[in-house]
Amino acid sequence: MLFPMSRNPEEPVYNRIEAARVALGLSRQDLADKAGVHYQTIGYLEREEYSPSLVLALRIAKALNQEVSELFSQTPFKKGK
Amino acid sequence: MSKKNKIYWFEGVTEKGVKSLLTDENSKYRWLRSQRNRRVLVVLMALGLIAVAMGSYWPTLKTGSLILNSGAEIAIYSVTAIFVIFAVLGGYLLLRISVRGIGDAPNELLDERQIKVRDTSFRYAYYAMGYVVLGLLLLMLIGPDLQMFQPKGNDGSYLVVATLFAFSSMPSMVLAWRERDI
Repeated sequence: MLFPMSRNPEEPVYNRIEAARVALGLSRQDLADKAGVHYQTIGYLEREEYSPSLVLALRIAKALNQEVSELFSQTPFKKGK
Repeated sequence: MSKKNKIYWFEGVTEKGVKSLLTDENSKYRWLRSQRNRRVLVVLMALGLIAVAMGSYWPTLKTGSLILNSGAEIAIYSVTAIFVIFAVLGGYLLLRISVRGIGDAPNELLDERQIKVRDTSFRYAYYAMGYVVLGLLLLMLIGPDLQMFQPKGNDGSYLVVATLFAFSSMPSMVLAWRERDI
């Protein structure tokens, strides 16, 4: 992507949103409705092409019944975790 | 629940209009949303804007001198100009639809990523319009020395129309070109 939408391309934020969403049986639209964003934004987040604000990270964590620290990390998550 | 359709006068949009574009209610426009089709639309729009601008020069571009002598030639010129302007207007409306109206939507109807994307598009549109205005200034400075770039027939009013269209559509053009998913 020519102009990445990450808040800071030097410090990528990794997440496990997709795994948590699928585990709950939610579609992107379902999660988007719960978090109050457009479903495309959920896609960008899951592909780690966009890093959310703290407020949005908290809303997503709440929608997925998880803590922010369980969903987001500055280091890549280990596969299967 | 209020069913009132809020009008955003400054942005020139309505709440229902924006929400309808942001959701996939209008599935008939889905074909417009692929990046390839959006980019084709941007290129066509740019060519349309150039065509409108050239309306100011067409008489001299054609022969090197003013040719709008006969009624038939004036009629052809006028009908062609009206057709091109309406085509560009149609392109402008399609462009807004292709980017879900994000380029013109108020903050309260967008999420944080969409706001960031829209604002970034306005920044690049500002740079792009800088080049457009620079080009126009050069045309005005150098044009009179060049035989073919002397506004004839309408005193350059099509240049103004094209520039206004460019100002209105540039953020959506940037958005349509850059974004992978919209």
